[in-house]
Amino acid sequence: MAHPDRPWTAYYGPEVRAQFDAPSYRNLPELIRSVAETYKGGKAFTCCLPNGMNGTLTFTQVDEMSDAFAAYLREVAGLNAGDRVAVQMPNCLSFPVVAFGVFKAGCTLVNVNPLYTADEMAKQFEDAEPHALVIIDMFADKIPAATKGHPIPNVIVTRVAEFLPAMPRGIVGLVQKYWDKSVKSVEVPHIRLPAALDAGRSHIGKDHVEVDAYHQNIGADDVAVLQYTGGTTGVAKGAMLTHGNLIMNMEQAMGMLATNLNKGEEVVLTALPLYHIFAFTVNMLSFYWMGARNILIPNPRPLSNVKRAFENYKITWMSGVNTLFNGLCNEQWFLDSPPKHMKFAGAGGMALQSSVAARWREITGTEVIQGYGLTETSPALTFEPPGKTREGTIGIPLPGTDVACFDEEGKRLPIGETGEIGARGPQIMKGYWKKPDATAEVMIDDWFLTGDIGVMEPDGYVRIVDRKKDMVVVSGFNVYPNEIEDVLAAHPAVVEAAVIGVPDGATGEAVKAFIVTADTGLTAEALRAYCKEHLTSYKVPKRVEFRDELPKSNVGKILRKDLRAEELAQIAAE
Amino acid sequence: MVDEFTQTLLGVMVAIIMLGMGASLTPRDFYLALRRPYGLAIGVVSQYGIMPLLGFLLAMFLAVPETIAIGILIMACMPGGTTSNIFTYFSKGNLALSVLMTVTSTVFGVILIPLILLVYAAALDLEIPREDIIAVLIVLLVPVAIGMTLRKLNPNVGAVMEFLGSILGAFFIVFIAVTWVPQNWQFLLSTSGSTYVAAIGLGVVGITIGYFFATTLKLHPRNARTVALETGIQNGPLAIAIVVFTFPAEQQQAIMAVPALYSLFIVMTSTLVTFVFRRANTAAEQKMPDGLL
Repeated sequence: MAHPDRPWTAYYGPEVRAQFDAPSYRNLPELIRSVAETYKGGKAFTCCLPNGMNGTLTFTQVDEMSDAFAAYLREVAGLNAGDRVAVQMPNCLSFPVVAFGVFKAGCTLVNVNPLYTADEMAKQFEDAEPHALVIIDMFADKIPAATKGHPIPNVIVTRVAEFLPAMPRGIVGLVQKYWDKSVKSVEVPHIRLPAALDAGRSHIGKDHVEVDAYHQNIGADDVAVLQYTGGTTGVAKGAMLTHGNLIMNMEQAMGMLATNLNKGEEVVLTALPLYHIFAFTVNMLSFYWMGARNILIPNPRPLSNVKRAFENYKITWMSGVNTLFNGLCNEQWFLDSPPKHMKFAGAGGMALQSSVAARWREITGTEVIQGYGLTETSPALTFEPPGKTREGTIGIPLPGTDVACFDEEGKRLPIGETGEIGARGPQIMKGYWKKPDATAEVMIDDWFLTGDIGVMEPDGYVRIVDRKKDMVVVSGFNVYPNEIEDVLAAHPAVVEAAVIGVPDGATGEAVKAFIVTADTGLTAEALRAYCKEHLTSYKVPKRVEFRDELPKSNVGKILRKDLRAEELAQIAAE
Repeated sequence: MVDEFTQTLLGVMVAIIMLGMGASLTPRDFYLALRRPYGLAIGVVSQYGIMPLLGFLLAMFLAVPETIAIGILIMACMPGGTTSNIFTYFSKGNLALSVLMTVTSTVFGVILIPLILLVYAAALDLEIPREDIIAVLIVLLVPVAIGMTLRKLNPNVGAVMEFLGSILGAFFIVFIAVTWVPQNWQFLLSTSGSTYVAAIGLGVVGITIGYFFATTLKLHPRNARTVALETGIQNGPLAIAIVVFTFPAEQQQAIMAVPALYSLFIVMTSTLVTFVFRRANTAAEQKMPDGLL
């Protein structure tokens, strides 16, 4: 019998655990070790390059190598428990080794988007104050500019083909160095990851260092990851996700999704970047816990880059965003031979368009189930139960999660009334790093307010109606108008700038900039090129419109909502 | 004029190039090509319709000696070369289509090449060792099959073979330039201008006709660029191997002239075409928002 406040529990299968009081593991290192002891020589992570070159690490190897990295951080680099380690790389075998190593060292992982410009990196480094940086060689040229004024004492450099067999690794290395020249010279003192692991290993061997001692005092409430998110104001805020948050969210998500998944048998396509919280928790942690094999794709663009992964591995599960599912449905090779072993796929990050979900179902014969969550919630709050999807909804709250809507005064509304979606559960972050005021703004007691406006149906399915924040979501990545407007306003010819999100077929939403300029010669192209120098590509306005003036409130604040309304009216008229 | 060592080396290089070609393939590619015969038909028409006819016309109107004419015909009847894939890549063409066209034309070549050669050679009253050519083509399908198997068994070995094959395809040109050219310098100086016209014209005209053929069929610009390059770029190493392994030593020098010169000049032609294509490339590429990485 479902609880009246939690009608959705009626949709949980009989095997779903409804209560989540405490995580099953004391901390992430304990989980990592225990999984490795269960699945030992099974394949844990495989990195698959566009031409099919690949490398695999077993559960035992990842465990041993992350031990070595933990020993390096503590014994050689001299880090202490709680120190931050920034990690900046695309999906590759180094990612799990480094991330697990950071946890085992008792340190805090700071995920950094590898495509960030030096300015963007600098802002994040300034706030997180990392003691070490693990970075991919392709972007290491940005380090000097990004660490000016606040140097990072330890830099560890890795590469995409790290831990692949010697021959493919050598070929990829040569091609990257001499052919596409994507490998940059590193102009700061650094150590290569394999050398760091060797140094760590020598301490484990020589001094009989016990890696388990590094994290023996780390508990569920200690911070494991600082996951940055722009926040409404555009100032980067690090969500403090604890060991407990991540383990619990993993158990919650798998509790609901794993009904037809088999331990130790699944093969998961990880084309979404692991530095994003969705793939981090769902793919890297949850499926590792399931004993699954993660197929890591360093760069899924163009989409033909994942063709070999689909050919060479029996993919049974994948996570994606609308953009990815839509893209695959438009690739001829995917239509010609859709994956045969797929059980279902999980979508998050942005709204899954129902046309895309229908197309996917038609092509693969399997369902995409949609989830919803935020960086601050580790991330999953809701998911559609497998087999019980409902179009236009984001599913029901995960076991152990409460979802309710709140009015503008912060009063909890009864089910069926529209308001700001709030959530509480073991996956809600500890708070924003060094920003108690910002934390207070988003919390009402133990409820976290998401900034999304929604409504819950009588039986617990949730619909998103609107977004309270001005944030734009481009393919699952948050873009904050203030940040873009700051960059635009710094352009000498720009008088005023306003940025909004507009509906976009490919990316869900796209960034559109409205510009008032004094220079009639300024072109949209020139402005976009200028933005590219200062912003990661997904933040660069896709559309630019020049105006004589911008709508403003009587205190002179630019009214983004008016621009949005104009834009929507125009679309409706077309 | 090819000594035994060079001959063996040539054989090994062509075998590795074919091995690499095989490693770029799965049985599924053939199945799909057969399921979509339209694309296959375009490839076969451009490769075994347009090019041999062009070779035939060049051989007929350029008034070249018989041996040179045989060289022109053989070069014109070859399947697509692996270098076309590299140029397609840089021309922002459709790489998958290029690979598929190269491979299907190679496989169908076993039957079509001797057949077409025979027809045109008879028309020009030329003698060609038909059975030997079939034998060489069949023998070269063995490394293709091995490459496909290797890729199935171990994707890493497959990818390495594929890479080595394409590198060797490029190296082959260098090999011809530094071994064959100096050895035959005297011959090259004394040979008539029409031999050069044939060797260069085959590529230039082939690419041009291929492009107009594709645009007439209203193919997407990306695919049109691909078909153009695929049509004009022939498998030079294969032509040279056929000459070396099927014709008596005394005829080799003259017959090999066009294939060798073609192999050298097609690199320059294709490079120029690539620049033109890149400039013309205004069509949107398949794009994912940058947010995905």
